[in-house]
Amino acid sequence: MDDIQEILEDFLVEAFELIEQIDQDLVELENNPEDLELLNRIFRVAHTVKGSSSFLNFDVLTQLTHHMEDVLNKARKGELKIDHLVMDVVLESIDMMKELLVAIRDSGNDTDIGMDISDICSRLDAISKGEEIEIQEGPKEKLPPQEEQKEEEVDYSNLSDDEVEAEIERLLKERKEEDKKRKAAKKNQKPKVVQEPKVAQEPKKKPEIQNTKPASIQKAKTPVKKQTASALEQTIRVEVKRLDHLMNLIGELVLGKNRLLKIYDDVEERYEGEKFLEELNQVVSSVSLVTTDLQIAVMKTRMLPVAKVFNKFPRMVRDLSRELGKSIELKITGEETELDKSIVEEIGDPLVHIIRNSCDHGVEDGETRLLKGKLEAGTIELKAYHEGNNIVIEIVDDGKGLDPDMLRHKSLEKGIISEREADTMSDKEAYNLIFKPGFSTAAQVTSVSGRGVGMDVVKTNIEKLNGIIDVDSEIGKGTIIKLKIPLTLAIIQALLVGVQEEFYAIPLASVLETVRIPLDEIYTIEGKNVLRLRDEVLSLVRLSDIFGVDKVYENNEHAYVVVIGLAESKLGVIVDTLVGQEEIVIKSMGDYLKGIDGIAGATIRGDGRVTLIVDVAALMDLAKNISVDITADTQSAQKVKESPSDYFVLVVDDSKMDRNIMKKAMSPMGISVVEATNGQEALSIIKSGEYSFDAVLIDIEMPRMDGYTLAGEIRKYSKYKHLPLIAVTSRTSKSDRLRGVESGMSEYITKPYSPEYLESVVRKNIKLLAE
Amino acid sequence: MNNQLNKVLQKQQKQISEPEKIIDDIVQLVGFIIGNEEYAIPILSIQEIIKPIEYTRVPQVPDYVLGVFNLRGDVIPLIDLRKKFNLESAKQSEDTRYIVLKGEENIAGFVIDRLTEAIRIKRDRIDPPPETIHSETGMIYGVGKREDSMLTILKVEALLKRDF
Repeated sequence: MDDIQEILEDFLVEAFELIEQIDQDLVELENNPEDLELLNRIFRVAHTVKGSSSFLNFDVLTQLTHHMEDVLNKARKGELKIDHLVMDVVLESIDMMKELLVAIRDSGNDTDIGMDISDICSRLDAISKGEEIEIQEGPKEKLPPQEEQKEEEVDYSNLSDDEVEAEIERLLKERKEEDKKRKAAKKNQKPKVVQEPKVAQEPKKKPEIQNTKPASIQKAKTPVKKQTASALEQTIRVEVKRLDHLMNLIGELVLGKNRLLKIYDDVEERYEGEKFLEELNQVVSSVSLVTTDLQIAVMKTRMLPVAKVFNKFPRMVRDLSRELGKSIELKITGEETELDKSIVEEIGDPLVHIIRNSCDHGVEDGETRLLKGKLEAGTIELKAYHEGNNIVIEIVDDGKGLDPDMLRHKSLEKGIISEREADTMSDKEAYNLIFKPGFSTAAQVTSVSGRGVGMDVVKTNIEKLNGIIDVDSEIGKGTIIKLKIPLTLAIIQALLVGVQEEFYAIPLASVLETVRIPLDEIYTIEGKNVLRLRDEVLSLVRLSDIFGVDKVYENNEHAYVVVIGLAESKLGVIVDTLVGQEEIVIKSMGDYLKGIDGIAGATIRGDGRVTLIVDVAALMDLAKNISVDITADTQSAQKVKESPSDYFVLVVDDSKMDRNIMKKAMSPMGISVVEATNGQEALSIIKSGEYSFDAVLIDIEMPRMDGYTLAGEIRKYSKYKHLPLIAVTSRTSKSDRLRGVESGMSEYITKPYSPEYLESVVRKNIKLLAE
Repeated sequence: MNNQLNKVLQKQQKQISEPEKIIDDIVQLVGFIIGNEEYAIPILSIQEIIKPIEYTRVPQVPDYVLGVFNLRGDVIPLIDLRKKFNLESAKQSEDTRYIVLKGEENIAGFVIDRLTEAIRIKRDRIDPPPETIHSETGMIYGVGKREDSMLTILKVEALLKRDF
């Protein structure tokens, strides 16, 4: 029985490999019906499957492939011309063949799914009969054994003991008979059968076919052998499990290497100049070099050409274009680009969605295209290429493109975005609306697409792979969808960041850039902290707020912002330190801690400590719910003021005398006074953060920067929104006062003033009560 | 035919499991202290007992999950039993240990105050947990009666079950 199982497995592996290729060949064939080599190849597939399946007693499959073979044979000999109609039938039969093979893989036989192949067989027949009739013998001859076999199927479980005995008896007899027959057959065809010893052992239960059609088995077996023989020389089939294990071991090795490097650094510091250091250095470098090479080598063994996925698309596009009544050509380039097996398996579905969408919504029908002065046939390009440690897959169509206004309008209608969002949204952001859940642009829902679930699933799937998806489009010209996916999942490059005393690893693929900014460049818009970075406004969030990190250190006046990006969205994450870039191995935290928001896993660093890996997509979601005002927080972090001297007031006046008058007036309060001679100086003092002022007294008339401008500048910083700004001036006109209010002054004191008045105003503003 | 075979198989099964029962009459446990009480865990569920090592805090989890630590290359959660039992947390001392428990699917380290001893106790000396205590959490397997004290035997699967 093991032998049969082995043969069956071989058969299935081979059959699935064959049909993977056949779709593409067939579509190509439709365009070049005369290509004899293609035809021969396709014929051989049908033939091989037929032969093997009859050998393994898969009668339904045999029958189906036999009919296919007939048609293809005719075509091969030039007796039949392949046109669209013929192709439709052939493709349909291939689909059924696939289904049967899947059924065999899952249940071990091709009868359980109860597929009715009589219809397709008769249609295939009709095609081949169109020219000649003599081939018809074949199928007729084959029908009876199938029925016979059905009778043969005995339900053993319902039999009584006696019946079982009888059944065994019967089977034994049958087997003896069969042995005899086989011996006879052996004598007749000795040379051939000896080649195939497995044939002799195999058919214990269903011997009929074996004996009635030895010829077809021999015929079928020969081509199979030839093909596998040539393949065997170059490749070995290895279980994926073994490769996974190998990859895990490499992961451990990489961790070991990181550890070694770290220890070497420590040792180098302590024993600088010692002789053994050089030797150690050599060993460490060579180990780390070999580890890296080994890692790449093992990664390569897990690599599959992306053609594995791409191969099914020509057929899909062909079917879609027939169904939609459009003429679409699919151009594939870079299908030899390789990437990790696990990723190849994951990108199939997203690509199907994207290509379907391009066919359905992107490419216009022939007439429209002609009217627009385009070629009647639309083109969809599918490109794959490497870019650094990523693979990029581009889906480019020359269809009608995305209309950003329509997208805005549509999403507004569906309540996906608010009116304000729609107004402020850039075109690029509008394109990305297609990835929002519940969005479907097709006015009419077709069977091909438009259920509104497609594209957001695409996005989540790509993000699961740590990938980035990008859309670009031009109305009337077409759409480009770009997927950027890391080559492997197990070992990644990460940026290590420090937050207070903790460290986190951010996958480098999602890091766009890092910037260092002074805290006062952070603005507040609608309760959200933002940073103006070049032409963009970037939302900011502190990693310590998301992960609830205990505050140990005081904040600096500078912050490191890690700009992370996923698809269209960007977020600035404030961290305390940037540690550096490191190769990390992703480790699971086990079932107990699985699926924690914001954490993708853990890794072990060179020092043996565990560092958590940030889940960028989840982080972005978490950030939306964080409403801690970063700037407000820095104010509240200040110490409590105990004595009046803890209060700081800045006096800005170009005249020394005026400054002295003000200082004198405030001296009874015992507060600390800082002086500035003009607006510019005052602004830089405030910006430096050296003092935290409780009030600013500002003269209006000053060189370099006047009081109004200064007040306006100060108000720009959200942390000084409520800082009392007191104008002290001789300008008394109503328009001057008005301007003062406009620029953000909170009080207006006109010169001359009594010292008591100034004191009381300041006291009121800094909320310092009189003793 | 099938019936006969089944009968034979059942008989064999019985023969295999019978002697196990005899051995099972004595349960081997490891005893330890948390707070003021002595607890115990079946020795077979314990993978190892280690001295405290550094751990990394994990965000967004209940406070009794201290974080994760590196056990020879594996990342393992660390759970503070004091916090889990709603006791006041105490500083780690010389005697603090991590007990690494292994269940069918999960593995985790548990912080305990101090180990006591390996305990052999007869199965008939173990009573089911009193219904009033900890019945809502179901972490107690039973209460072992000893000459001079009581022993709370913890249910390993319940300890290893994620309850957040």
